[in-house]
Amino acid sequence: MRAKLRVKRFSTEGEASTNAFQEYEVDVPEHFTVLDSLIRVREDVDPSLALRCSCRASICGSCAMRVNDRARLACKTRLTSVAKEGEIVTIEPMGNQRVVKDLVVDLQLFWGKVRAVEPFLLPDGPEPEEEYIAPNEAMLNLLTPMGCIMCGACVSDCTSLEVDKNFLGPAALAKSYRFVADPRDGAQATRLQNLNESGGVWDCTRCNMCVEVCPKGVAPMERIMELREGVMDQGMTNTPGARHVASFANSVARAGWLDETMLAVDSWGKFNLPKLIAEIPLAIRVLRRGKMPLPGPLHHKLKGADAIGRIFKRLEGKHARKF
Amino acid sequence: MADHDVLVVGAGLAGMRAAIAAHRAGANVAMMSKVHPVRSHSNAAQGGINAALRGTDDSVDSHIYDTVKGSDYLGDQDAIELMCNEAPGEIINLEHMGVIFNRDEEGRLGTRAFGGASYARTFFVADITGQAILHVMYEQILKSGVRSYEEWFATDLIIEDNQVRGVVAMEMLTGKLHTITAKSVILATGGVGRAFEPSTNALICTGDGMALAYRAGATLLDMEMVQYHPTTLAGNGVLLTEAARGEGAYLINSKGERFMEKYAPKMKELASRDVVSRSEATEIEEGRGVNGCVLLDLRHLGEKLILTKLKYIHEVAYDFAGVDMVKEPVPIRPGQHYIMGGIKTDVATRCWDETGAGRWTGPKGLFAAGETACVSVHGGNRLGANSLLETVVFGKIAGEAATEYAKGIGDFSVSGAWQSDREAAIKAVMDRPANGERTAALRLELGQTMNQHLAVFRNEEGMQTALAKVKELRARYASLPIVHKGSVYNTDLIFHTELGYMLEVAETICAGGLLRKESRGAHFRKDMPERDDENWMKHTTAVRGEDGPTMDTLEVVKTRWEPQKRVY
Amino acid sequence: MKYAFYPGCVSRGGTPELYTSTLAIAGKLGIELEEIVGAACTGAGVLQEKGQKLGDTLNARTFAMAERMGLTTILNICSTCQGVMAQANKRLLDDPDYLAEVNEELKPEGLEYTGRVIIKHLAWVIVEEVGLDTLKGLVKNPLADLKVAPFYGCYILRPSDALGFGDNPGRENYLERIIETCSAEPVNFPGRTKCCGFPIMLINERNSMAMVGNHTTSAKEHGADCMVTPCPLCHLNLDGQQPKAQAQRGAKIGMPVLHLPQLVGLAMGLSPKDLGMNQHVVSTKGVEAKASVRV
Repeated sequence: MRAKLRVKRFSTEGEASTNAFQEYEVDVPEHFTVLDSLIRVREDVDPSLALRCSCRASICGSCAMRVNDRARLACKTRLTSVAKEGEIVTIEPMGNQRVVKDLVVDLQLFWGKVRAVEPFLLPDGPEPEEEYIAPNEAMLNLLTPMGCIMCGACVSDCTSLEVDKNFLGPAALAKSYRFVADPRDGAQATRLQNLNESGGVWDCTRCNMCVEVCPKGVAPMERIMELREGVMDQGMTNTPGARHVASFANSVARAGWLDETMLAVDSWGKFNLPKLIAEIPLAIRVLRRGKMPLPGPLHHKLKGADAIGRIFKRLEGKHARKF
Repeated sequence: MADHDVLVVGAGLAGMRAAIAAHRAGANVAMMSKVHPVRSHSNAAQGGINAALRGTDDSVDSHIYDTVKGSDYLGDQDAIELMCNEAPGEIINLEHMGVIFNRDEEGRLGTRAFGGASYARTFFVADITGQAILHVMYEQILKSGVRSYEEWFATDLIIEDNQVRGVVAMEMLTGKLHTITAKSVILATGGVGRAFEPSTNALICTGDGMALAYRAGATLLDMEMVQYHPTTLAGNGVLLTEAARGEGAYLINSKGERFMEKYAPKMKELASRDVVSRSEATEIEEGRGVNGCVLLDLRHLGEKLILTKLKYIHEVAYDFAGVDMVKEPVPIRPGQHYIMGGIKTDVATRCWDETGAGRWTGPKGLFAAGETACVSVHGGNRLGANSLLETVVFGKIAGEAATEYAKGIGDFSVSGAWQSDREAAIKAVMDRPANGERTAALRLELGQTMNQHLAVFRNEEGMQTALAKVKELRARYASLPIVHKGSVYNTDLIFHTELGYMLEVAETICAGGLLRKESRGAHFRKDMPERDDENWMKHTTAVRGEDGPTMDTLEVVKTRWEPQKRVY
Repeated sequence: MKYAFYPGCVSRGGTPELYTSTLAIAGKLGIELEEIVGAACTGAGVLQEKGQKLGDTLNARTFAMAERMGLTTILNICSTCQGVMAQANKRLLDDPDYLAEVNEELKPEGLEYTGRVIIKHLAWVIVEEVGLDTLKGLVKNPLADLKVAPFYGCYILRPSDALGFGDNPGRENYLERIIETCSAEPVNFPGRTKCCGFPIMLINERNSMAMVGNHTTSAKEHGADCMVTPCPLCHLNLDGQQPKAQAQRGAKIGMPVLHLPQLVGLAMGLSPKDLGMNQHVVSTKGVEAKASVRV
């Protein structure tokens, strides 16, 4: 088949300096991946095209790039899965990171975040003579985050990182989970305290982008949600994030549905007068348009509220987290 | 003052294990790798790592015996004994570092069966054991604070007065050359699979360390011993782990027969790799293949086992062959996978003969570990799950030995000519006029040639043809131009240099094959199908000469095991 | 066709105009809505942090109520409700033991979920069941001059496997197709599949407002007259908080944001008032003018 690739080129070197798309066409077999096709371009057409790749088998994590607007491993993406015969495939470097040349990005931001979570086992006390005794279920649970190949796809497309480079981001948080959930690690409490800080677990927007783009099924966001449970279970409940969860649960437990107004007040903090005063203009704005639901005791109960409350009593706090 | 006491070139498992050992021994150690450490090819080891840790009947002696037998009696028995004795301690060490090994019901380390092994002694993390260990090793590197030159490409070993002094290397993100001095250098750069096409190896496996050492006067050992793995995917040559067979998968031919019953009545699919690969090749040659392949059948293992213990290869077979292994058998064939040969070292990973007996040559202060080295623990055929073991055992030894060695080296300075000569050489290549030749095309010719004539079955004529072809390619390489002239991340220049490395190494593979007048392990000559213990309990050696390698032999070290007929 | 209608919390709270406009177009499209009375909040992903089984049980209860009503399809008008329900349903269907456990919790109310409910967002119902041809026939007021930037909201797109994109890959651009059917012009812009910032509005306001500012501005820069969203939570942030995002950004934005049924309603010739457009924070006058609607 004819592969038509529209590749974002970038160079700052003298005459070759560029920052534009370039189109390539090469004949390739039907089974070719995006990576195979790019290698064909590099070998036969344009050796100046820079990209990282190595294993060709989705295990080394080198070839993450944006293919048709989404971060993917080029080696794991069949050409036919992203374009029909004759269609153009758009290939760009990963997002949220500085481009060095063409499809090669500077991974300093990525590794800086990984380093920030103390990414190594911190055992409690001296090592045992033999191996640590640990249940196989705990090891199998860790297989998911250990499956991370540090390709950077999640960091590339993270919608929170896009607006805040202070956020630890999905890969580093999944890496942190790998230790928090490791029964051999002795620093769980400290780790969770650190993750409760600004830039930690509460800055994830739960947009599912990392779950969608991760080529290895690590589902970083789900790990972040488990970490949130862990943080709250450690008693760290006086943050906007934890109060947000508590308020949400309280209103649904009481009335069966969400009390939006109380959710705001509780999250900001009931006694956070400066914030409450600052929000008066917003309150007036929405009140005027008939859009401010009645809060607290005035928030009416659904017909089935009692049954819903019963379910809460039985199941609230029964976490799915696996550590 | 040297920049470092110890410089490790290559940051896969052997390299990182060496760096950690050197760091723990108090050295100022740095690692250098042309890729980020977690991109290293150790990732691709899937099935596990061997050790006779404990078990009902297993013993270290049994592990040693299986390895000696697996090597077809070509492995040095002192080195094999050392490796197998160190294995249990290293497994525990890896576990303490944080590797999430599979457990048994009591929460202790659990094992699986593997090829050529008398007992189930393979410790594993699903089918991503290499990746799981590599990433944990990198965690330990981050913990240690060891300096890491990432995406630095070594172009020269600096040798003055037969003494290693460091390397010249290119920082790939800028294209700048640097001289990094060190009192000792450990090469841990992996194999040379890209000299074959197809291969299970990553694109980075281009024999860099072997070529650097060879050019620096070191000896290459048993280079003809190239392993073809029995289960690689047709098409792109990607590996499907031996653990599939360890867990009970069958190999079947076009008639639906489990043909290994015929070739290895006792061990069947779990015979050693050279035996299984030859059997498959025979089935295919004799017309019982399916489109040049045989079939790997996992269906009877059930979905649950496949999706937990063999999850990654399930994904690989689906992504790259479009086969759901839960429902269908997957077509596979033998494919180039590993090289048992490499830079000759002693059991302390030294590349020179410390005894002063001059049994082989090599510069002082140079060490090697992992696939790039040949200690030799694999001899004519490596057992599955012994390669990860080799990397950590000899990586650790290398780190400690290089640290100790560095203590005896005083201050020195090196000539600036090393770097300026390399700069001039690169400029000369850059200035070559375009002549229509492309690096990729030459590399492909090399790979196809090697895969045709130095594969599972070999003979004199084929190997002569291959050698002549390699010599021809070397001649063409001498005027091979570079198209891209930039400095930043110029992979055209890197590939060009790597091709130079591969051509030199490939020449020693051909020469070794021609020298060895027998069949042993992976080296099976149809024109000389018998093993010849009388004349060939010997390693082949290759030393760089004016016009290709100078070949010789070296006695195999025997301790307790006399050669026997190999039956599985 | 008749649907078990799940309006969600926000269409009865912060964005009542979504509820109004949905009812205003449903009848014309042949969509009969019977509200699931007493159905709990889906949890919006937040309750799930208090326990996944809690969230899944509340959703299973809703599914069981729909089944008891004798209806096969639940119709959502919120991307978030759609996504959360779809994920809960997948977990329940993937593991029969889990479903049985959850059903135990529903017994006191005499409810049982048998696993046969189909869950669809209004946008999917319009494309897959009403049909764009039918919609085309109902367009009395083609929005020919209008450039519309579709903003999907995360949970109607991700995770795509739970949302059935395998069988319905077209779901990733239904909004564009509906916009085109209304004779308007879809505007491609970088924010279309990103997060609006609502889930962290009360947790990290600065980040949330940066997202609102980025998406509304980039829609504007790409030439959009308005945005359209199938998610009321996105609307709360993109419209309701736009003044705040403007202040943080220090630049005027003024990007009107329509609910999906408002856009469809305008094309059908309904009046902006009947569609509740007077309840928006960012004025929709410009849109109404371009849509040649007599105000």
